Amino acid sequence: MSGFPDPLEVETPDEMEGWEEMYPPHYIFSEERAEWERRQFWYLDKIHAPDPMYPWDLIFHEAWQIALAQLNTRVFCIPPAQGVAQRIVGCYFYICAVEPPSEETIQKKAELFQKRAFYVFENYEKENLYEKWEKKFRELGEGVKNIEIPDLPTFEPDDRVFPEPRGYFTSYDLMEAYSKLIDSIYKAWQYHFQYLNLSYLAYLSFADVVRKLFPAISESTIGKMVAGADVVMFRPQEELAKLARLAVSLGDKVTSILKSDRSPEEKIEELSTFPEGREWLRDFEEAKDPWFYVSCGSGWFHYEGSWVNTLSVPFEYLKSYIETIEAGGSVERDIDEIHKKREELVKEYRNLIKNEDDRNAFDQAYDYVRRIYSYAENHLFWVEHWFHTIVFEKMREFGRLFVRYGMLKEVDDVFLFNRFEIPMIIEDLVTAWALGENVPPRAEYWKGIAEKRKKILEAARNWTPPPALGTVPEEVAEPFTVMLWGITQDKVSEWIKGVTYRPEEVTEIKGFAASSGVIEGKARVIRFLDEITEVQEGEILVCPNTNPSWAPVFTKIKAAVTDIGGLTSHAAIVCREYGLPSVTGTGVATQVIKTGDIIRVDGDSGTVTIVKRAGE
Amino acid sequence: MKYICWFNEIGRNDILKVGGKAANLGEMVNAGFPVPPGFAITIDAFEEFLESAKRRGKKAHIARIISKVDPKDTEELEKVSILVRDIVESTPVPEHIENEITQAYEKLCSQVGYENIPVAVRSSATAEDVPDASFAGQQDTYLWIKGRDEVIRHVVKCWSSLYTPRAIAYRAMKGFDHYEVSIAVIVQKMVNSRSSGVMFTLNPTNGDPSQIVIESSWGLGEAIVSGEVTPDRFAVDKVTGEIVERTVSPKTRWCVFRDEGGVVYENVPEEMQQKPSLTDEEIKKLSEFGKLIEKHYDTPMDIEWAVDRDFEFPESIFILQCRPETVWSRKKKEPVIKAKSGFDLIMSRATTTIKLRKT
Repeated sequence: MSGFPDPLEVETPDEMEGWEEMYPPHYIFSEERAEWERRQFWYLDKIHAPDPMYPWDLIFHEAWQIALAQLNTRVFCIPPAQGVAQRIVGCYFYICAVEPPSEETIQKKAELFQKRAFYVFENYEKENLYEKWEKKFRELGEGVKNIEIPDLPTFEPDDRVFPEPRGYFTSYDLMEAYSKLIDSIYKAWQYHFQYLNLSYLAYLSFADVVRKLFPAISESTIGKMVAGADVVMFRPQEELAKLARLAVSLGDKVTSILKSDRSPEEKIEELSTFPEGREWLRDFEEAKDPWFYVSCGSGWFHYEGSWVNTLSVPFEYLKSYIETIEAGGSVERDIDEIHKKREELVKEYRNLIKNEDDRNAFDQAYDYVRRIYSYAENHLFWVEHWFHTIVFEKMREFGRLFVRYGMLKEVDDVFLFNRFEIPMIIEDLVTAWALGENVPPRAEYWKGIAEKRKKILEAARNWTPPPALGTVPEEVAEPFTVMLWGITQDKVSEWIKGVTYRPEEVTEIKGFAASSGVIEGKARVIRFLDEITEVQEGEILVCPNTNPSWAPVFTKIKAAVTDIGGLTSHAAIVCREYGLPSVTGTGVATQVIKTGDIIRVDGDSGTVTIVKRAGE
Repeated sequence: MKYICWFNEIGRNDILKVGGKAANLGEMVNAGFPVPPGFAITIDAFEEFLESAKRRGKKAHIARIISKVDPKDTEELEKVSILVRDIVESTPVPEHIENEITQAYEKLCSQVGYENIPVAVRSSATAEDVPDASFAGQQDTYLWIKGRDEVIRHVVKCWSSLYTPRAIAYRAMKGFDHYEVSIAVIVQKMVNSRSSGVMFTLNPTNGDPSQIVIESSWGLGEAIVSGEVTPDRFAVDKVTGEIVERTVSPKTRWCVFRDEGGVVYENVPEEMQQKPSLTDEEIKKLSEFGKLIEKHYDTPMDIEWAVDRDFEFPESIFILQCRPETVWSRKKKEPVIKAKSGFDLIMSRATTTIKLRKT
């Protein structure tokens, strides 16, 4: 099937010249592998990378490319599934589910899968596999926190010499600190997939059963049956609710400070001047680690920030929580209630199954998914939020060191270099230091590269990459491809539409019916978070996808349409909560729809119609 | 009254007394569903009409005429039907029966609050609405009938509809005795239908038992039944109560009442054609009734309903008739999945691929 551009022939704007140098060579399409690369189906991964990729931030993707695939192909051996390969074109991130292996390999894998996966499902609870996972993962994260990034001393201190010279000194310490950081990231991402592929499989197999019994059931209802109530990801919010309650119980002096318009630093300062304030601060400090190590966004990008380094975010929440409590409202999630509701939902569907064998299959599949699915929910906090926050903070320590010695202009410029380039900057710096007084490093060279890359990324932001490249495969077997990216036959046809038709000629696009309701209104196309202030009351948001940092905008809009994301995507969940219609995973909405177009969002059928073009 | 049964006086065990349709209306009224008010004229009234002392042997006479007809000879059927219906319709209604019908109609008028209310007059046969011998539509229905004289005239027409060519042929084919069958008549307040249609308590397309599917169109339900319009289609999830599908079709024709009585097909005003014929709250309310009706009968049901333009929501919603769903209910005996261990299910998922390309 043709329809998508040749991956080797994509043209990027002149202002982006040199983008290839920002990433490792195995991320670039090349003649060397062209035959294989053209045969695969590459699609833009806007879920994990909606914006142009910062070179250093690619590290998590580099790590998951290896870890996810290895689980499928070499460890649990999901029979027809291979890995998910990655490429970068014009700073945008493309992925592809690799075609299935030979029949012979599938057979061999099936035997291993049976043995190994079965063991995990049978022993997940008995052997406390999750608890063991969390323990070792947290130890790994604590290890990263404790990595020391020393400043370069004029002279090594005495204790490095007496009573016995240490033998290696600060230059080595710095190089080792970076290596340790990198090693830990790779290890963490191997841990990340330890039970994830299997929990997705359990989910998909339950979904299969439910869909056979209730052919018309929606994905969001299946999601509701499986979702846990007591999920770690909700803890940050629950901790804030507790802190808000405590503040109210401590009296007006504490609450009036927390409700004021002062900065978080000023509030902390003022609270520390009296006993009740200090009592509140004690609990606040205790909650901070680990619960404030939560990203303001998805956790994938350094520029999103986390609560611990963007205290204005949790303090803003605290203010509104306190106001809600004072108005007699509740801010706590009623876990028992959520639990009860889910059980009722499952029970009611179960009651509709009249055949005993079918009911049995439903029970079996449900038992398996309930056993392991909490892993899919909990790992997200520990890896993408907690661990990534620690990692970004550690990298900023390197950034500060580089700025101190004039190697870079700004701390966050450190993320403009890929993970293989940082050791060169470290080496340049420690070489100059070791050589002695008045020896210059190539600081201007590094700063020059940083400036150039900022411009390339800026140009990439204004460029629209094609939604997919290469050849559409006959089938997909990789569980993540289906579960996370929602790749289906319909989806691919829709994407082809977006490529082969001129966007201005398209009048209807399709996606997931993510949140019910039908509404018509003016579209506002937002491609980046920093444009979000342009959204006007009552408009329909059209964007690549959303994450928790987009949350405030949902009180303003009357519907949401996204390019990528299934029924469990952030936009889908929030829209259902606010009762707004939503169509997600359209593939092409931000290309086809223009700000000012009048569109109709049908969240029941998953259709978006362009009723009237802006200016017509 | 001897020959009149109000709906609340009958139930599903009264088929032999008032016929299947009327018995079921009584069943629904007593279960608390919003059925338009009305009464049934019992089978005894029909028997008395044809078999009173003065006319002894009339019904047997008719049966004899009919039984000679070859049910495949349509021309002969037609002739015999006209002859027999003429005999029935020229038979005067005994005065005491006429009085009872008049009194009941006037009581219905005073219940509703004005004179000469429009009613539907329809037959309710003893062999009708039996799940296995779907007799629906074999007898006539007269809509928007006003005034006592017209009501009585149409009651007689209903009686004679026992002898339409179709009804005669059907009985002959099924081996029912022409003498044994009998007929009751329903007189029921007309719903001034803004919208009407059918509701299924499972998805008729794929048999999904977790969904209620509503087909709806403007005006009287006859427009859907006769295939004059493609109805709007709504699906509601029984468990979550969410409307999960909404297909609004252009509805160009509708069936409406004429002031002088009877109904007529007309073009739907342009501005209404593309509009959904039900509001969300109506869809939700209807589906709640659907769930309750299914529960009451303990089997999936097909339900006729209407929304009356003269009442405010939710009093505007009326249930007109219901019958057990037959297609999927019969099929569903076989397991869809068969009991498998959780791991077998995982294994089958792990070895399945997902088709991306139509091959």
